[in-house]
Amino acid sequence: MKTEQSHNDKDTFLAKWLAGDLSDETLKTLVSEADFNSFLKIRKGIEAYEVLESPIEESFAKIQNHIEKKEVKVRPLHTKAWVLGIAASIVLFIGLFTIIGDDIVTVTTNFGEQKTVALLDGSEVILNSKSTITYDEKTWASKRTLFLEGEAFFKVNTGAAFTVNTANGAIEVLGTQFNVNTVSDLLEVVCFEGKVSVTTMTDTIILLPTNSVRRINGNATEQWNTEATKPTWIDGESTFKSVPLHYVIKALEAQYNITIDAKDIDATTIYTGSFTHKDLNTALKTVFKSLQIQYTEKEKGNIYLNSK
Amino acid sequence: MSKDQYKICESKTFESLYQKYAKDLRRFIFFKTQDLNKTEDILQDTFIKLWDNCSKVDYEKVKSYLFTVASNTFLNSVKHEKVVRKHRQGIANPKTNESPEFIMLEKEFMDKLERTINSLPEKQKEVFLLNRIEKKTYKTISEELNISVKAVEKRMHLALIVLRKDIGNI
Repeated sequence: MKTEQSHNDKDTFLAKWLAGDLSDETLKTLVSEADFNSFLKIRKGIEAYEVLESPIEESFAKIQNHIEKKEVKVRPLHTKAWVLGIAASIVLFIGLFTIIGDDIVTVTTNFGEQKTVALLDGSEVILNSKSTITYDEKTWASKRTLFLEGEAFFKVNTGAAFTVNTANGAIEVLGTQFNVNTVSDLLEVVCFEGKVSVTTMTDTIILLPTNSVRRINGNATEQWNTEATKPTWIDGESTFKSVPLHYVIKALEAQYNITIDAKDIDATTIYTGSFTHKDLNTALKTVFKSLQIQYTEKEKGNIYLNSK
Repeated sequence: MSKDQYKICESKTFESLYQKYAKDLRRFIFFKTQDLNKTEDILQDTFIKLWDNCSKVDYEKVKSYLFTVASNTFLNSVKHEKVVRKHRQGIANPKTNESPEFIMLEKEFMDKLERTINSLPEKQKEVFLLNRIEKKTYKTISEELNISVKAVEKRMHLALIVLRKDIGNI
């Protein structure tokens, strides 16, 4: 019986033995004693090899666990920093896996948030709430190009062409300060310093300081002048000059993280004015009172508009 | 406190030191203990000790610090085991490094084994690594490679024969 089995398995029995399907005793009867001892040592060596070659991350998790527990007992004040450290390393890990390889940098602001971003060449971008810029870190030195969604103020250092691409057109400059607002189908560019070239789908406009340009939903481009030296939103106020009301509503939503139900009013009404970023009630009052629109907060963060 | 010394206490630096030295240290400890569980324990204790003393250890000397601590921890554990054994004498006869059935894995043996595994013919190596490192059964491997279980076992069998031949009598 045994010989028959070993005959059938003569070219696989070592595999079966290593998997534990064949006992050491059986192996002993199949090979010479020197081979048997050698195989025992090889098996042990393979087991050690498996562990020594295995990833070290698992042990690190245990070490962190241990350290964390100890910190809680001894230095409770430091626990948070350590937890943050772990969180940061996890984020870093995930980040590495998702970002690695393409060097694409994305900066996003949330509701009511503003962020100042220093670019690699020293240029500065101030992002208004609910806005995103994306650029390629690798090619930045040779091609200063970024993509914008939302609103941002740019202070560009002199150098090669600096291009802001948006879904509604491109803005190209050399070294200057300007503001771009591109929410849905609106594109509004205000130049504060230097010279800005705006290319929309239909035409190209050169803006000089205090010039502004706006293009809404493919309609004819409007131009006007402003006296400001920087956009008002940087100082906590959003200002609008003859824009359809629904863009103002969008800006309010982005600023205060609310939803505004405007289906019962005429959202194409033209609005000129501003609202504060500090207080929602004041902001709502300044925008809608002047337009004779009544606003009611149905539930938290949900505002309903109707004409008086 | 120099700038570098300060950095070990930062979890990011600490983790990068771990990534850099843990694998080598684990091998180093294993050749001393010849026991995978003890190796894991000493490895963890060593890095915990580094963290505890992160402000006192010179960044430039981290490597020798780690290996010294690991070595001392090992020697202490041996001392401790001797005491334990003394107390247990006559009660039980635990399986120790000195027992006849114990197989010592010398560094030279492990180096040779690893070299041989790495130089296995491609088909055998594939099966060997899938089975031993990725812990897949012969059946799973046969499905993945679209070959019979018997063929997987043959490759594994051959791999063991190659290992036996290359390593020679030990």
